[in-house]
Amino acid sequence: MNARLGIRNTKSIIFKVIIFILAFLITIPLIVILLYIVKQGIGQVNWHFLTHVPAPVGETGGGISNALVGSIIIVAMSSVIAIPIGILAGIYLSENSSTKLAYYTGLCVDILQGVPSIVVGIVVYFWVVKPLGTFSAISGSIALAIMMLPIVIRATEETLKLLPPSLKEAALALGVPYHRVMLKVIIPCGFSGILSGIMLSIARIVGETAPLLFTAFGSPFLSYSITKPIQSLPLLIFNYATSPYDEWHNLAWGASFILLLFVLILNITTKLITRRWKVQL
Amino acid sequence: MIRVHKIILQEGLVNFIDMTQLENEISALKAELIRMWILVQSQMNKAKEAMLQFDQDLAREVLVKEKRVNSYELSIDNNCENIFALYCPVAVDLRFLLAALKINTNLERIGDIAAGIARYVVESTANFNVSLLEKSQLLRIYEESVNILIDTRAAFEKEDTTLARSIFKRDEVLDQINIAAPESIAELIKEDPRSTNELLYILSIIRKLERVGDQCMNIAEEIIFYVEAKILKHQETSSNK
Amino acid sequence: MESTVVSSKNFNAYFGDNHVVKNVTIDIPRNNAIAVMGPSGCGKTTFLRCINRMHELIPGTKTEGTLCLDGEDVYNMNPIYVRYKIGMVFQRPNPFPNMSIYENVIAGYKLNGLKVPKADQDNIVEKSLTKAALWNEVKDSLHKKGTFLSGGQQQRLCIARAIAMEPEVILFDEPTSALDPISTASVENLFNELKANYTLIIVTHNMQQAARVSDKTAFFYLGELVEFDNTKQMFTAPSDPRTQNYITGRFS
Repeated sequence: MNARLGIRNTKSIIFKVIIFILAFLITIPLIVILLYIVKQGIGQVNWHFLTHVPAPVGETGGGISNALVGSIIIVAMSSVIAIPIGILAGIYLSENSSTKLAYYTGLCVDILQGVPSIVVGIVVYFWVVKPLGTFSAISGSIALAIMMLPIVIRATEETLKLLPPSLKEAALALGVPYHRVMLKVIIPCGFSGILSGIMLSIARIVGETAPLLFTAFGSPFLSYSITKPIQSLPLLIFNYATSPYDEWHNLAWGASFILLLFVLILNITTKLITRRWKVQL
Repeated sequence: MIRVHKIILQEGLVNFIDMTQLENEISALKAELIRMWILVQSQMNKAKEAMLQFDQDLAREVLVKEKRVNSYELSIDNNCENIFALYCPVAVDLRFLLAALKINTNLERIGDIAAGIARYVVESTANFNVSLLEKSQLLRIYEESVNILIDTRAAFEKEDTTLARSIFKRDEVLDQINIAAPESIAELIKEDPRSTNELLYILSIIRKLERVGDQCMNIAEEIIFYVEAKILKHQETSSNK
Repeated sequence: MESTVVSSKNFNAYFGDNHVVKNVTIDIPRNNAIAVMGPSGCGKTTFLRCINRMHELIPGTKTEGTLCLDGEDVYNMNPIYVRYKIGMVFQRPNPFPNMSIYENVIAGYKLNGLKVPKADQDNIVEKSLTKAALWNEVKDSLHKKGTFLSGGQQQRLCIARAIAMEPEVILFDEPTSALDPISTASVENLFNELKANYTLIIVTHNMQQAARVSDKTAFFYLGELVEFDNTKQMFTAPSDPRTQNYITGRFS
């Protein structure tokens, strides 16, 4: 009997050790990538780098200001498009979860989440770029907004579903009309969950390249117009890293570092904010 | 305790339900009261026999068994208290327990009366003159009071309020004998002054037996209270007078 | 003679095809505590929710018959107004978790956009918390979140929130079933004081509670109102055998 127990104990210990090692192994790729990009890119980053457009081939210097501005504009516009629609759709799905419309909508949201990003780009090319006759920031934003929607919708829906129904009942019993119950009670209580969904979706799209290939297209110039082609960080990295020029490679490394930094900051901020804003139910 | 299965018809459905714990307790209490009742009945009968046969041994037996009557009273009081504390009974259960407490006291007093009669026999030096017992109506009142005691018990066991109400009328017989007693005893004393002591004992016993009737009337009132939730105490109505 | 504050006549309620409340006619007198009891699924909670029109918020529900507040049919009035006049306290204490104690009490006004000057707000909060026997316990922490109170305190906070709207009737849906005995006792003590200013209708599973706190009791069974009488009469000598069977535990 004791011998059997002994073997069991050993197996337990071996199992625990294996799990630990595997968990540790996962961190290795992340750390390696981070370290490498930091090493390659940090040297490139300075004030000049952030405020100048790329130099023509053959000249040294230059920066990524057009890509920074472009990324900011595209992400901002995508958010403006996707966030209201996403939140409202999430509210509908959580409130009316038993209707047919909710079922099919939920199905569409799940399928949309799985559509390859390049396919989204091609579709938006035919919907927006061809009719407008030009590549543009707005078309890029639309493509990215389509990719943001599933995340925002699902996060909102799941957050609201977790709220106890007694919350809504308490507000309704006080004579509060439905729209105010949603806006002033339910959404504020679910705020941290919804916010984290939004920030995660932004973190996702800020690094998307494929949809922008046929929509925003990229540009060597600094542009603030939404109806003209515009550069963005991932596009710049894609184009410049595959070019034959060393100076452009350097720019790509610098841009990679900036992008990584931005995503890291976004994820960490999300974690901090959701903890602070979390409503104790 | 054997669990008794009761069939209750509900909206056409037939359910088998175990008796609840409270129902079991109340059943047990009822059974205990009835056992006490039977003992008190037997005490009364034995005291009468002891008196008729001048059997002092039988009378002593009655005196010894009186302790058992008292211990029943304590036990029933205790069980009622427990049921009140643990089960918070309401409605008919509550009324039954309140009635049981009073019936308990009434039965104990009847037991006391039987013991008192037995004591006379024990302390007496000579046997009672049976013809005197008859002439004074003592035997008649004794028989009637024991019958009333038996019938009251039947009313309790069957929850028969009609039978309970009939007790009130029959108690009148006892009252009549009791009211006429002083005069008839005085007559008998004049006829035979030597039996004065005996006749005074007889008068005393007649008074006690009249009280047995009163106690049974109280018990009948309690039975009607718990079955019908009607309170008949301290009321002069045509049904009970 | 007590006046009637809530009355219903031949009132029926349905969940889809399920006939849950059958032909209920009842007159509830003012400034009384009325207990509503009955086994699970007897329609008592549904009937309660019809009084302040919360029942119709569930899809597929229907009602028939009249249900009146102060003589006016509740189903002809604006439901928002009905809920101002009839407050409700639920089984699980549910203070708004994103609001402080102060904001919770005044929530009925704030959430409805009803403008109240600050001084009046302070007044309302203090009065309501005092009436709910909670003022002394929380007056120094009004700006803390409501969810850090104990169960009994949270429930009294919900009562204060309902009282702040100055309703005529307060409905209680098994208000102490989620609370421990001490908290339950604190809420029950409150009922006695609240009776003076409001009419309380309390649905409860706990018969002893119904017996302790109410003046009159209604017994529902399988959707029907079987008996409605003074509590003392109901518990010493009920008229209907179904009531007797229920309160003596002969069937659940």
